[in-house]
Order: sequence, then C-alpha cells, then structure tokens
Amino acid sequence: MTRPAIAPDMWLPLDPQTGRPGDPVVGSASLGFWAGVRSRLWRHRPAMAGLGFIILLIVAAVFGPMLSPYSYFQQNLELSNLPPVYRPYTVAEGVQVHVNTSNLSLYEVGDGGGLTGLLRPDGRDMINRQTTWEIAGKTVVLDYGQRPAVLTIDGEVAQAGGRKLNRRNPFGTDQLGRDVLVRQLYGARISLLVAAAAVLANFVIGVVYGGVSGLLGGRVDAVMMRIVEIVATIPLTLYVILMMVVLQSGLLSVVLAIGTVYWVDMARVVRGQILTLKSQDYVAAARTMGASTSRILFKHLLPNAFGPILVTLTMLIPSAIFIESFMSFIGLGVTPPQASWGTLTSEAVETLRAYPHQLFFPAVAISLTMLAFNFLGDGLRDALDPRLSS
Amino acid sequence: MTGASRLPLMWLAQRIGMMLLTLLAIITLTFALMHAVPGGPFVSEKMLAPEIEAALNAKFGLDQPIWRQYLNYLGGVLTFDLGPSFKYPGVSVNSMIADGLAVTAQTGLLAMICVVAVGVPAGIVAALNRGRWPDTLAMFLASLGIAVPSYVIATVALYIFALRLGWTPAFGLDDWRGYILPVVALSGFWMSFVARLTRSNLLETMSQDYIMTARAKGLPARTVMLRHGLRNSLIPVVTVLGPVVANLLTGSFVIEQIFALPGIGRHFVQSITNRDYTAIMGITIFYAVFLMLMILIVDLLYLWLDPRISYGDRK
Repeated sequence: MTRPAIAPDMWLPLDPQTGRPGDPVVGSASLGFWAGVRSRLWRHRPAMAGLGFIILLIVAAVFGPMLSPYSYFQQNLELSNLPPVYRPYTVAEGVQVHVNTSNLSLYEVGDGGGLTGLLRPDGRDMINRQTTWEIAGKTVVLDYGQRPAVLTIDGEVAQAGGRKLNRRNPFGTDQLGRDVLVRQLYGARISLLVAAAAVLANFVIGVVYGGVSGLLGGRVDAVMMRIVEIVATIPLTLYVILMMVVLQSGLLSVVLAIGTVYWVDMARVVRGQILTLKSQDYVAAARTMGASTSRILFKHLLPNAFGPILVTLTMLIPSAIFIESFMSFIGLGVTPPQASWGTLTSEAVETLRAYPHQLFFPAVAISLTMLAFNFLGDGLRDALDPRLSS
Repeated sequence: MTGASRLPLMWLAQRIGMMLLTLLAIITLTFALMHAVPGGPFVSEKMLAPEIEAALNAKFGLDQPIWRQYLNYLGGVLTFDLGPSFKYPGVSVNSMIADGLAVTAQTGLLAMICVVAVGVPAGIVAALNRGRWPDTLAMFLASLGIAVPSYVIATVALYIFALRLGWTPAFGLDDWRGYILPVVALSGFWMSFVARLTRSNLLETMSQDYIMTARAKGLPARTVMLRHGLRNSLIPVVTVLGPVVANLLTGSFVIEQIFALPGIGRHFVQSITNRDYTAIMGITIFYAVFLMLMILIVDLLYLWLDPRISYGDRK
C-alpha cells in the first residue's frame, strides 16, 4: 500500500488572494475593537447613507444661507406662493408667462427660467370674470368663469409648455413671498442647534450623572435614581410647554428644557453600563493602585461604556429634533419670522388646498433627517454588537 | 421569592409613596413656574383700573402671600379641585378636563388598540418570513413610521384622503370615518416601533434552548414560534406600553389641532396660547397623575405576565 505523497510545500499556507500556495501569509493583523466597529459600520449601507445625509445637512445648514441671495425673513408679496416647477405659456417669441390659477395672477418668466415678476393686469372685468394683460403687443385674457381658469392669447386658447424649473427660487416661495429654500436651510440650522443642545446635555449631564450614580452605588445611587424617576415621569413636551409659558420664547425653552431634563435616559443607560463594568478586574486593579474615583470613572469606566452611549445618543438626537418641530408645528416653538421645519409644515397646512406642494419640502426634510439618524443608530448598534445584527 | 402573595404590598406601597412625591414635585414646579411669569396673569390684559385688578386678584386669591396660595392650591388638588379658569369666566379647570376627556380617551384608546393589534401581528409576520418580502415590506413601513413625525403623517393623510379623495372627513368625529386618520396618525410611530420590537424579540427568543427542544421533539416551526416563542417575546412589548401612553397623550396636542377634535390636548394648547395659568397648571397635573397611574398599571401587568419577575424582595 502506497501512501499519497505529501510534499513539504503542500503544508505552506495558501495565498488569501489567489487561493494557491504562495507567500507565507499567516493572517491579517488583528483588528482593534474600534477598527472592527468602523469596518462593520462602513459596510452597513443604510447607516453610511444616513451619515452622509447628516454631514450634507450640516454643511448645507451652515453654508447654504450664506450663499443664498435671499434671507429667511425677506418678504416679497408680489412673488408669493410660487411653485418650484411650473408650466410656462409662450406669449410671443422669447416672452413666457406663468399662470397661478389659485390667485389668478400672471408672472413673468425671466431669461434664466426663473419667475421674476408679477405682471400687472391692464383690465379687469369682474362681471365676465376675466382679467386682461397687454404683453408684447398681444392681448392675454385669463378667463376664470370656468374652472380651471383658461388663458387665451389674442383670442386663441393657449397651451402650457413642458415643465420648467423655477431658477429664481428652486423650492418656490411661501405665502409671503419668502424663498422656501433658504427658510428650509434656516430650519435645518434650528434643528441642528437643538440636536447640539441635546448632545451637549447628554454628554455633560447625562453621562456624568449616570456614571456617578452607578459607580458610587448605595444610598447616593438610590436618591439619584429617584430624582431621575421623578424627572422622567413627565414627557419632555410638557416641560417645554411649562418653560414656554414663563420664557415667552419657544426656541429658548426647547433648548433649556432639553438642557435641564433631556439627559435622564442617557443617565439610566450609563448607570446600567457602569453597574456591570465596575465589578471588572481592571477597575479593582486601578483602585489598588490608588486611582481616584473620578479617574476610575473618566479613564476606565466611561470609555468602555462609549458604545452604548453613542447608540443612545443617535436615538436621542432625532427625538430632540422632533420635539422642536412638533412644538413649532403647534405654534409653541420658534416665533415668526424664524423658520423651523415645524412652522414651515404648519404654514403649508394653511395653504394646503391651493398649494399642496408647499407641504412637500418641510415634510421630506424632517422625515429624511429622522430616517438618517435612525439608520445611523441602527448601524452603530449592529456594528458595536455584531451578535445582535439580524 | 417565598411570599404567598404574588402581589408585593411593600413594593406597591413604595411605588405609591414615590408617586405622591413625584406629584408634589410636579405641583411645586408648575406652581413656581406659573408664578415666575413676569407681572402676573392680568398684566397682559387691556389696561385695567387698579381697583378692578385688585378685585380680580382678591377673587382668585392672588393677594395672599405666596405660601398661602401654594397651600391653597395643594389643598385644592388633593380634593380634586383644580380651581377656576382665568380666561373663561365661570368655567372650572375640572370641567375643561371633563369636557375633553371623552374625545381624547376615545382616540387614545383606539390608537392603543391599533398599536397592539397591528404592531404585534406585523412583527410576527415579519419574523415568520424573515428575509422574504413580507419581512422587507413590514420593516420598510416600520422604518417610515418611526422616521416620519406624526404631524407629517397627519397632514399628508389629511391632504390625500380628506381633500383629494374625499374618503374621510377633514375634521371632527361625526361618524366612524372621522376616527381613521387621527388614530392612524397618532399610533403610527408606536405601531412601527412595536412591530420592530416584536420581530427582533421573537427572533432572539427563537435562538433559545427551549425552542430547540420544542423543535427537536418534532413540532412544526410555525407552532413553535407562535406557541413557545411569542409568549416570552411579548414581555418587552408590554414595557413600552407605559411610554406609549405618555406619547399618545402629547401626540394628541398636534392631532387634535390638525383634525379639530375638541379633546384635552386642544384645550391645553389653547390655554397656553391664552396664558390661562390655572388651566395650564391643572391640565399638567392631570396629565402627570394619569401617566403615573398608567405606568403603575403597566408594571402590575408585567408582574402578572412574567412569573419570573418579582418586585418584592429586591435588594
């Protein structure tokens, strides 16, 4: 019986790329914990999309209003309720108009395709329900006796052309003629301001509070957690409302309420983490070496609880943003002319019948932002704890 | 646990004591905030003659020292009397609450039923079909439901179903169709949340040993999941019901405004814009009491559902 011949080179490790014996590569360098998290997060597509959106939003919110020729409060009543997309009527060669069938006005189309001005009618016939303009030597009549209103040019019924983008106001204008794009970006600033307040409150108060409570334990912990329980009983919305009554400013009360009471969930999470971590050997080692309590907390325990802290944070940020827009929507948030996604939505509701498109941008903005944070949070959770990912 | 009774009386007594403490803190906080308003309740009114203002202050007890007012108010709350409204003469805060309670409770209860009756089955279907299209669809919808704020759901639904299609009334609760949009908008977030929670819990429970035992003795996968898995994976769902109540409550502020429902949320928002201080205080306290009771009920439910949990002999 002959044994199969095993040449010594058959024991050589395989090249991970080619699958054939080659360079003696034993294995890749082992990844550190955070490197592993990063690479898992990198592969989590929704999370990366969410992160990308958030970065884009921050950049747009910071720089967008600076680049815009308009300000969020600058009104132009002549150019109110303009759509982002319109269908122009050609009156003569190079002369186009846009008809708003809701307020029965004609707008001039500028060279670049933007709606640049309101055209003053030259005659109004209220009885026959007609308005007349003299444009480029032609008589343009808008007959609103029938619905939808019909535009005739020199007696002939005009047909609208293909869809064109409003270059002057890419997102259109609101009912006071303010540029919706710049107001959207301003709303993003407010949302991000609230998000920043939430992050700050959670890091400064929540993490430290929960850490101290968990580490000290005993009576201190019991009292601190009773306080958290009392604070957590009342929804954040109620705190904001109570503060709003006193402070008269919605934005300030949202930020203040978040700063004073929005850290309780984080405190609970951190406390739970610290409770499990503090019995670990390295804590005992640090203690025997004479490390102070605060050093143990900040150098040994909190860095190890960073993963859950980060996940909780990505869950808390969207709810903070939501609270602000919610308050603004019911009229208890930012005060006009300031714009928040909530006020933009509630303004759109007022004109919902005539201009439903105005609802689109604020609704999409807030939803996408919430979605982005949720995706990022889910991705982070999966990346930090690969066992949990489904 | 050695006690004969499953209901730990010590725990219950502690809980109720804690609730009273919380209530006291909330009353004190709202009282302090309402009295911290610069000027006082009648300053913003049209110029009042000093005698009238004095008479008004005397009528509402505002001429008394602040501690006296506080004790009076505390006494009132304990006897379920939240005082008169500052803005509507002859209307008490109690009657304002009683007025709106029916509407808010109806929509809230229906929303709660929706959360459980839609969220849980959706989660089960998703878990049963893990990775296939029902799962993908359910989780896609759930992601949307979690991300899209209730007021956006409400306004978009209002536009599509009430204004465009005309299937439902745009406001009011005159017939059953009026309930659809408010209830869906109110429960959208938590329906999605519960669906996701049910799915992930069910999948996690399914990796437990006793499930493998059940499978090993030859039970079909579906039976194992529904009979053995579901029971234990529903317990975390019960824990979120407390927050659900709180959220439906605050959610009602915006839903009642959009659909013009005469509930407590609308009264509350109105009293804030009217600066009706006693109404704001009273309704806040009512909300707090209601929430605490609900959380207590959920905790008791939890105890009843899961025999492994005991609140009695905690160290």
